[in-house]
Amino acid sequence: MIKEPNFTGKRIGVYICQCGSNISDYVDVEKVREEISRGKGVSLAKITMFACADSAQKEIVADIQNEPLDAIVVASCSPKLHLNTFRGVAERGGLNPYNYVQVNIREQDSWAHSDKPAQATLKAIHLIRAGIAKVSLSEPLTPMTIPAENSVAIVGAGVAGMRAAIELADLGVNVHLIEREHFVGGRVAQWGKMSMTNQTGEEIITELYHEVKKRESIRVYTGANIIASKGSIGNFNIQVKIQPRYVEPPCDPESFKKAIEACPVEVDDEFNFNLTKRKAIFFNYRSEFPAMPVVDMAACTRCEECLKYCHGIRLDQQYRIIEIHVGSIFLATGFNPYEPKKGEFGYQEHPNVITFQQLKRLLDLTKGEFRFRGKKIERVAFIYCVGSRQIDGENKYCARYCCTSAIHAAIQLRQELKVPFIYHINKGIRTYGKQEILYEQSSTSGDVYLQFVEDDPPVVEVLNNPIKVTVNDLLTAHMEVTVTTDLVVLITGMVPRVNTELISILKVPLGKDHFYNEIHPKLRPVETMIDGLVIAGCCQGPRNIAESASSALAAVSKVYSILNKGEIKLEPTLAIVNPAACEWCGKCLEACPFDAIERIETEKVPVARIIESNCKGCGMCTPVCPTEAIDIKGYTNPEVRSMIEAMSG
Amino acid sequence: MSDDFRNSSLNELDALVIGGGIAGLESALNLAHMGFHVMIVEKDLSIGGRMIHLSKVFPTLDCSACITTPKVSETARHPNIEILNHSEVKHISRDENGSYRAVIEQRPRYVIDSLCTGCQDCEEACPVVVKDEYQYNLVGRKAAYIPFSIASPRIAAIDLDNCILCGACEKACGPGAIDFTQETRITEITVNSIIVATGFKLFDPDRITRYGGGKLKNVVTAMQMERQLVPTRPFNTVLRPGDGKVPDKIAYVLCAGSRDATVGNPICSQICCMYSIKQAQLILGAVPMADVTIYFLHVRAFGKGFDEFYQQAKMMDVQFIKGKIGRIKELENGDLMLRYEDIASGQVKETQHDMVVLSVGILPNMGIEKLFGDEKFKLDPFNFYNQPNEMTDPFKSNLPGVFIAGTSTGPMDIPDSILSAGAAAAQAAKYMKQHQASISHQATTPL
Ligand SMILES: Cc1cc2nc3c(=O)[nH]c(=O)nc-3n(C[C@H](O)[C@H](O)[C@H](O)COP(=O)(O)OP(=O)(O)OC[C@H]3O[C@@H](n4cnc5c(N)ncnc54)[C@H](O)[C@@H]3O)c2cc1C
Ligand SMILES: Cc1cc2nc3c(=O)[nH]c(=O)nc-3n(C[C@H](O)[C@H](O)[C@H](O)COP(=O)(O)OP(=O)(O)OC[C@H]3O[C@@H](n4cnc5c(N)ncnc54)[C@H](O)[C@@H]3O)c2cc1C
Ligand code: SF4
Ligand code: SF4
Ligand code: SF4
Repeated sequence: MIKEPNFTGKRIGVYICQCGSNISDYVDVEKVREEISRGKGVSLAKITMFACADSAQKEIVADIQNEPLDAIVVASCSPKLHLNTFRGVAERGGLNPYNYVQVNIREQDSWAHSDKPAQATLKAIHLIRAGIAKVSLSEPLTPMTIPAENSVAIVGAGVAGMRAAIELADLGVNVHLIEREHFVGGRVAQWGKMSMTNQTGEEIITELYHEVKKRESIRVYTGANIIASKGSIGNFNIQVKIQPRYVEPPCDPESFKKAIEACPVEVDDEFNFNLTKRKAIFFNYRSEFPAMPVVDMAACTRCEECLKYCHGIRLDQQYRIIEIHVGSIFLATGFNPYEPKKGEFGYQEHPNVITFQQLKRLLDLTKGEFRFRGKKIERVAFIYCVGSRQIDGENKYCARYCCTSAIHAAIQLRQELKVPFIYHINKGIRTYGKQEILYEQSSTSGDVYLQFVEDDPPVVEVLNNPIKVTVNDLLTAHMEVTVTTDLVVLITGMVPRVNTELISILKVPLGKDHFYNEIHPKLRPVETMIDGLVIAGCCQGPRNIAESASSALAAVSKVYSILNKGEIKLEPTLAIVNPAACEWCGKCLEACPFDAIERIETEKVPVARIIESNCKGCGMCTPVCPTEAIDIKGYTNPEVRSMIEAMSG
Repeated sequence: MSDDFRNSSLNELDALVIGGGIAGLESALNLAHMGFHVMIVEKDLSIGGRMIHLSKVFPTLDCSACITTPKVSETARHPNIEILNHSEVKHISRDENGSYRAVIEQRPRYVIDSLCTGCQDCEEACPVVVKDEYQYNLVGRKAAYIPFSIASPRIAAIDLDNCILCGACEKACGPGAIDFTQETRITEITVNSIIVATGFKLFDPDRITRYGGGKLKNVVTAMQMERQLVPTRPFNTVLRPGDGKVPDKIAYVLCAGSRDATVGNPICSQICCMYSIKQAQLILGAVPMADVTIYFLHVRAFGKGFDEFYQQAKMMDVQFIKGKIGRIKELENGDLMLRYEDIASGQVKETQHDMVVLSVGILPNMGIEKLFGDEKFKLDPFNFYNQPNEMTDPFKSNLPGVFIAGTSTGPMDIPDSILSAGAAAAQAAKYMKQHQASISHQATTPL
């Protein structure tokens, strides 16, 4: 026997959604309706095909007004999806939106128990009764409105970050563009000529940087890292630590050049993936921005040779910490190319086994004949999906950009550098959409495609010169094919950039693939579970440039629609203290992860007080309070207790 | 819709969105949230585009109706958005201020929208039965009909081409909503920006004679299969159309009409691999004993969560065979014989299936380029709308203030269409701000 929920005299409307058939295939909705409609306080109980459909929403609004109803319960899908949809319905009907409760009978019931329809039906009844019990006790709540700062912190000045900065500035938002390297541009700067348009990375970055510099409302910080962040949507207070470049104006390009030549220290050049060396004072490439070299203090011996040529060099510069106040944080921190492990397809066992990122640098640096380590290269073998699509490994995902980008590079090798033999040892080429044209072009111009399967990867023999790669080739009915080659290029995928500190400061949600995770790929594709924190570009997952720019601009739309109203409504479901019951033991202060509790002195005793702009309503404080002096509005102890009673009866 | 918007002359708005599919809706909603006034012109009787008709969507397997309808409903009631359904833009010209003037033609639905309650009495009364295009001809509908259960607006329309003018619906309609005297309405608006989101066309498999040219009874398109798998599915199971039998050996033929120069479409459609893998999983849910085989060239599972979704299908025992289907032949019992080169063994093989799904691809849906008169609105080499600066200004067209979103720019799935719409909206918003500033600057600068 199912116990009736408490009755407080409210007239309650209950809507049971079939969700097409997602729910009604397993839950006997008619039986649920019958049971529920007998409950006290239930003025009406209806079944709907899709409660979220426009026509159903209109019907609920009409019911609220005509019956009239004091509160509604919709039993449908997860509130994650539609809580706000139905709060809006309640509001349009004239109810306070918090006199609405959503009961999840899909994800938590029909889908979970599709093998046991009778029990699923019973569970639906229990869950809905709990919802009715909660809504019987619910109080009207009003969101608090706070002013929102019309500025944004964009973290990362790659394509995604710079593109977003320009658009946001033009929409009237103040932009702080925070780049951790000493030069802007991110990865694209490294790639030379690129698919699909043949523009070079340098061209793209130059164009974007000039646009950025034209706008006074964009402030660019290089060598900068976020070291602390407080507050929430509308009002984040961020501390940024800015590393010195040890170089400042004035100094002309000629003197810089001489200073760099004079530097006696040589280290591996990471920009060229260690294919070359650079000095301790360096530029990455000719037209890099900001157009000023930087001193790598880890390598600098303070010999002061460079100072002889350039008086803009200041080896005693110190770091600075600045504070900025922004309404939204925009993450565009990008990716790293996958770095193969030693021995993976001969990597680091033979110098002529290189990564794709290294090949891209070689191509960009090569003029005329294609040579590597002094020898002319006539045969190149690409091995695809290195570090991607690993069935057993960490990176299960396809890196999306690499098939197209690699084939584009192969076309460049053949057409510009006249490399006659190119082998593509792949796992199934994924030149989706219009990119297919490149695959067509490459395969009809003499490139050889060989395909391997997951559990039988190609074997790279590095002991002898030249290198031999043996493939069990699917395309020739599993013939064993051995390719002799001068150069093996590992077509590496993408992994997230290492950003442990930033992730922990901002509590960035990560997906299974360790990239930053959106709330929902279709409903809220650029937002995260942290309100006001948006993500774009490759930090969210592999993408090419056009796709990175697209996501960046989509995130601009989001940020601008948050900030342009000048104010933000905060969820009113926050903690509340009953000072009469509080004995100040301080347990809540310890439990709160958001610094939202403070101790205040009253006439008699000290008590706890909630700092509402910090409180997220997470509920960590309520269970630790020994006197039940602290509670969460909208999820009060009596509400939760009545739900448990209704459910367990 | 708020009254002041209703009462304001409809003539001056900020932006026009052509096409009310997911890309159009997202563009309009984004602009509306930023405070702009937008009109959506949708050719069809309902907004929602292709997505509202899908079953569950890859790679998250959300119920498509459940994530489309809230967007549809939010759009329909947003105070900053006006929707003209059953309408098409006939002409667009540019005035001396650089604003666009659009002439829109709204065809009559012969039902007064403010009176229709959606009760379906007219449908009941109507004696004419024709094929239901919203169910991809799997079932029938009346000549007086509500397009589909979750249509927005959910009101009736009379299909005059098939109506026999018997007047039965008029008599049946309680509120007297049916009005055969309605005529085509012309609306003219001036806007500062336009977003073209007219979506895609599906490849028509009748063009492929090797696959029966549309004559084989148990060969369906993926869109027809999609309709059999939606939550409001017509048959409550999967049936083959020839004889209504529940199939137990289903084949998917990928790249039907894509990556094939012989049918004039050399590019990959980007979505069909994934939707086929999705449908295979859904079929195994609906008909657990069925065998599903996917014949592919390459599996393009490239997006976030896609490869994992592909692996999941393999674990569920969906068979994947690499090979291009050369020919499909119908046997006497309606089964189908598929002839193909099995690449893994290098042999030509024949396999019998009792139902075949053609994974048809995306084709451009041209037409908007003709509306601009002398101004040339450009197409790309594949006849999608051109993006002159696709890397850094992705959804800008060659005309100032005109942007494009979704599959009107090329093949893409829903997540990418939604991002593109957000991007187009940001670009349009910026353009409008700058454009307005330049107009008011002209107005205040003495000559
Ligand atoms: C070998 C290779 C070849 C490619 N070729 C092509 C091609 O031909 N065509 C194409 O379209 N795409 C290509 N791509 C993809 C292209 O590189 C990406 O789409 C693009 O770089 C994504 O830009 P982004 O801004 O998201 O990230 P990134 O370029 O990675 O930029 C991110 C920026 O954020 C900064 N950052 C990171 N963490 C922090 C922090 N905590 N604080 C401050 N700043 C931070 C980084 O320093 C960097 O400047 C290629 C990729 C690779 C690996
Ligand atoms: C069988 C199938 C299954 C699919 N499954 C999935 C899936 O599971 N997951 C996924 O992500 N994607 C899936 N897709 C892809 C998805 O349908 C598209 O990505 C999406 O619909 C594109 O949206 P859109 O707005 O660009 O175009 P559309 O949905 O085509 O919308 C365009 C709109 O514009 C209107 N229109 C056209 N011309 C005019 C005109 N001249 N004037 C006014 N209006 C006009 C049309 O009537 C339509 O309403 C699937 C596609 C198919 C065919
Ligand atoms: S894009 Fe191509 S190379 Fe890259 S992971 Fe995917 S299939 Fe492999
Ligand atoms: S036209 Fe009349 S009969 Fe038909 S659905 Fe509308 S109200 Fe009902
Ligand atoms: S997505 Fe797959 S089925 Fe569709 S055209 Fe591309 S390769 Fe073929």
